[in-house]
Amino acid sequence: MTGRFGRAVVLGLLVLFSLSPLYSALVVASRDNADLARATPPLLPGGHLLEHVGELVERVDLAQAMVNSALIASAVAVANAVFCTVAGFAFARLRFRGREALFAVVLASAMVPTQLGIVPVFMVVDALGWYDTFAAAIVPGLVSAFGVFWMRQACLEAVCEELVDAARVDGCSLARVYWHVALPAVRGPAAVLAMLSFATSWNEFSWPLVALDPNDTPTAQVVLSRLAGGYYTDYPLVLTGVLVSVVPVLLLFVLFARKVVAVLARGAAETGR
Amino acid sequence: MVRRTLTPYLLVAPFFVVFGAFGVFPLLRTAWVSTHRWHLISGDEGFAGLDNFRHLLADPLFYNALGNTLSIFLLATVPQLGLALGIAALLARRGPAWQVLVLVPNVVPVVAVALVFGQLLGRDYGMVNFLLGHVGVEPIAWQADRWAAHLGVAVMVMWRWTGYTALLYLAAMRSVPRELYEAAELDGAGAWHRFRVVTLPGIRPTLLFTVVASAIGGVQMFTEPQLFDGSGLAGAGGSDRQFQTVAMYLYEVGFGRFDAGYAAAMTWVLFVLCAVFTTAAVGLVRRVISR
Amino acid sequence: MRRGRVPWVLAVIALGVQALAGCTASAGQERVRITVATFGEFGYEPLFAEYERLNPGIDLVGRVTDFDSHHKGLITALAAGRGAADVVAVEEQYLPALRHSRDKLVDLARFGARDLAGRWAPWKWEQGVVGDAVLGLGTDMGGLAMCYRTDLMARAGLPTDRDALAALWPTWQAYAEVADRFAARVPDAKFADSAGTVYTAMLNQAEENYFRTADDAFIGDSNPAVARAFTLAGAIGAQHRTAALTTFTQPWNVGINQGAFATMTCPAWMLAQIKQAGGPGAAGTWDVTTVPGGAGNWGGSYLVVPAQGQHIEAAYAAAEWLTAPAQQKRLFESDNILPSQPEVYRDPTVLARTDPYFRDAPVGRIYAASSDAVRPNHRGVRDADIRPIFGRALGRIEDGKQTVDQAWQQAVDEAHAVLR
Repeated sequence: MTGRFGRAVVLGLLVLFSLSPLYSALVVASRDNADLARATPPLLPGGHLLEHVGELVERVDLAQAMVNSALIASAVAVANAVFCTVAGFAFARLRFRGREALFAVVLASAMVPTQLGIVPVFMVVDALGWYDTFAAAIVPGLVSAFGVFWMRQACLEAVCEELVDAARVDGCSLARVYWHVALPAVRGPAAVLAMLSFATSWNEFSWPLVALDPNDTPTAQVVLSRLAGGYYTDYPLVLTGVLVSVVPVLLLFVLFARKVVAVLARGAAETGR
Repeated sequence: MVRRTLTPYLLVAPFFVVFGAFGVFPLLRTAWVSTHRWHLISGDEGFAGLDNFRHLLADPLFYNALGNTLSIFLLATVPQLGLALGIAALLARRGPAWQVLVLVPNVVPVVAVALVFGQLLGRDYGMVNFLLGHVGVEPIAWQADRWAAHLGVAVMVMWRWTGYTALLYLAAMRSVPRELYEAAELDGAGAWHRFRVVTLPGIRPTLLFTVVASAIGGVQMFTEPQLFDGSGLAGAGGSDRQFQTVAMYLYEVGFGRFDAGYAAAMTWVLFVLCAVFTTAAVGLVRRVISR
Repeated sequence: MRRGRVPWVLAVIALGVQALAGCTASAGQERVRITVATFGEFGYEPLFAEYERLNPGIDLVGRVTDFDSHHKGLITALAAGRGAADVVAVEEQYLPALRHSRDKLVDLARFGARDLAGRWAPWKWEQGVVGDAVLGLGTDMGGLAMCYRTDLMARAGLPTDRDALAALWPTWQAYAEVADRFAARVPDAKFADSAGTVYTAMLNQAEENYFRTADDAFIGDSNPAVARAFTLAGAIGAQHRTAALTTFTQPWNVGINQGAFATMTCPAWMLAQIKQAGGPGAAGTWDVTTVPGGAGNWGGSYLVVPAQGQHIEAAYAAAEWLTAPAQQKRLFESDNILPSQPEVYRDPTVLARTDPYFRDAPVGRIYAASSDAVRPNHRGVRDADIRPIFGRALGRIEDGKQTVDQAWQQAVDEAHAVLR
């Protein structure tokens, strides 16, 4: 009884905390600046949302930028899911010389502070002749250390070592072992990784701002930064931009998560779990 | 035969190609820059040997930032991991919409996060102080007071990352074989016991991952304290740098003062600290988990 | 399409021919694209269209981001040698530091910029030059006035009339005394928004502040002008005469709306923000008058031409045209952007400008007068490294953490450490 009630309360709080940024973005986006500057900020949406969306559409060309962002983020998401999964599998379940040392390099690479890195990475991209190309936005993020680490741990959990060894003894090629044994077991974590990579890439701002010419290849976040203005921030307009850029991504995630769960359920049925 | 021994290397190659192209050069360049007087825009202004490192080790502002970083890390990370585990256990059998829901605070652009926290933790008109006022607590200067600021930043970190971590745990929990739970249930184990003897051991590698990831994220904490400072990128973490982290100080030196040589030295020192700290955290957690 | 179909087809053919012919086409026939990067809207879009009409063969394209990203992007591009726009707006606080890296910017004197010096107020022009080199051409300026709330002044028994009030505070010392009178009568509101804004306004009225004009040596610890400003602003903060709100933050917006403070130093561009924060309901609450000391400027920008650009001469031509008096006047009329050229801000239409939101304050006249009174004041190359240190020191006083002397001592120590 109390357990059920307590659980409902906790779930309710979870919804409240999780949705609070979206909700306050909605409240702010539908108000004007003077409303926000009251002693008690408004708690309910006002009536200015459409007006602000109108101003947004008039001020910035968001359509092309959203397409660019979607292309870049999709490429990064797919690449991370693929490359991190194979690397994670190798680190977790294959024996090869230098495995531990190479993995230590992976981990160490995640420990380098990035604040200063933007200048040298930009120099590399420019030396490759990639300035203002999609490659500049995508390639440096193709595969991440955290992703490799994450997929390694997932393989340690879900991919049975004996199964891999047995398949190898049976003369299965590594590709087949990976495809038939490893991949089905880590589809869930790989899907989560794809989702997180997509979100990270979508929200990326500093890098596309310098690596792409905003006049030729704008991304959503770069275009939206136009709204923040010079000396002061027009919060209602900025938060309208936040809503317009983030809501489609969340809807996409809900659809995607459904799909992944369905696939997992089918996979579970096949393996008899 | 050759192919078989080569395959593992091919599988890990993409990471090393990308890292080689976009990671190694910046690292080497940072090392080179750290031994020079180096203006961010103008470049090399003379060899300096280990001067930047010597100066750093005697810089009180660096130690101040280091202390803040550790304090905020402890306040934020330990509760965050526990909370995320609880949330994951709660959501383990729920629909996919919940997964997306808990991710929302992490996906929403930071400008919205800054605004929400500004409204919650304002000194004069913040909602938290308003509520505290009703129970007779004096208004708290959330930015000015060192401990209040650390708590505020920690809450911000927890709020942005708990759902994210919970999602990782959820994904791991789904791959724990159902039979194990059924067997435990047959043995008459309660929910808590099942969680302890089946779930936790089953997701040990993921637990380890989250410990390492949050240790690294904690040592390099940047975004949240920067947002907590109302003055944006120019912020130094308060009038007495009371919540300036090392990464913030690094940014201030490099991009605010254009002292790339000093910032590069700090980058390397922070890197080493991060490695030491992470190793220690992993050692500690390994001992706790294996018990 | 405006141009119709035939020219479009011709253009394709021309491009094809050009491609076939290799690179034999003369450069004069190619359209040159000049990008102009600004932070926030500068009101340039209609001017771009006109410039393109006047200069066939040139495309002017705007690139707009927010304040922080804009300057960080410029710094990254200058450091890496790639990616800067052809013409870039630089806010005055970032300009001194760029003097250190002047080889990354085109010396506009090469194209005759020196001859334009007479266009700007002398202090505005001086900030854009280093020795013989001209790094930037001034766009707008901020000027400086004092905004005040008439309702709070009335409650304190102080005059609400702007001239009477200005007569009360000819100097900052007098302003501090008015603050005392205000505090005695109005316990629930502060006199100023922060000690930092008072301090900065005082500091900028001195000819030298942190660095010596002659050799750019640090004199912040010995210059009486700095100590005087710090002591006065620090005392105002220590006595809780300020609301201790950081400019541009959301709590500061709320303070404007809620009447948390009675006065704030306000450049021309800040009037728009007061209107936004106050909302239409607060019209007639705020008024504008002369700042103590009579002179001041806060903000305003320059157009610079990064040396890495492909078309620096065309970029200069565009920058010269965009900052010319005729265009400054149009920007004032279309977007209320305050010109930095005496010829323009003394124009009758500018001088006659009043603002109904601020009880018809003669803002055109007030800001022109404050700019006319500004003497060129030297900003050291490392000005931006030192300013925030003293700003934070005043913050510590306002937070009640330190006395004025302690805060001063810590700031001086920190300044020496930074300038090692």
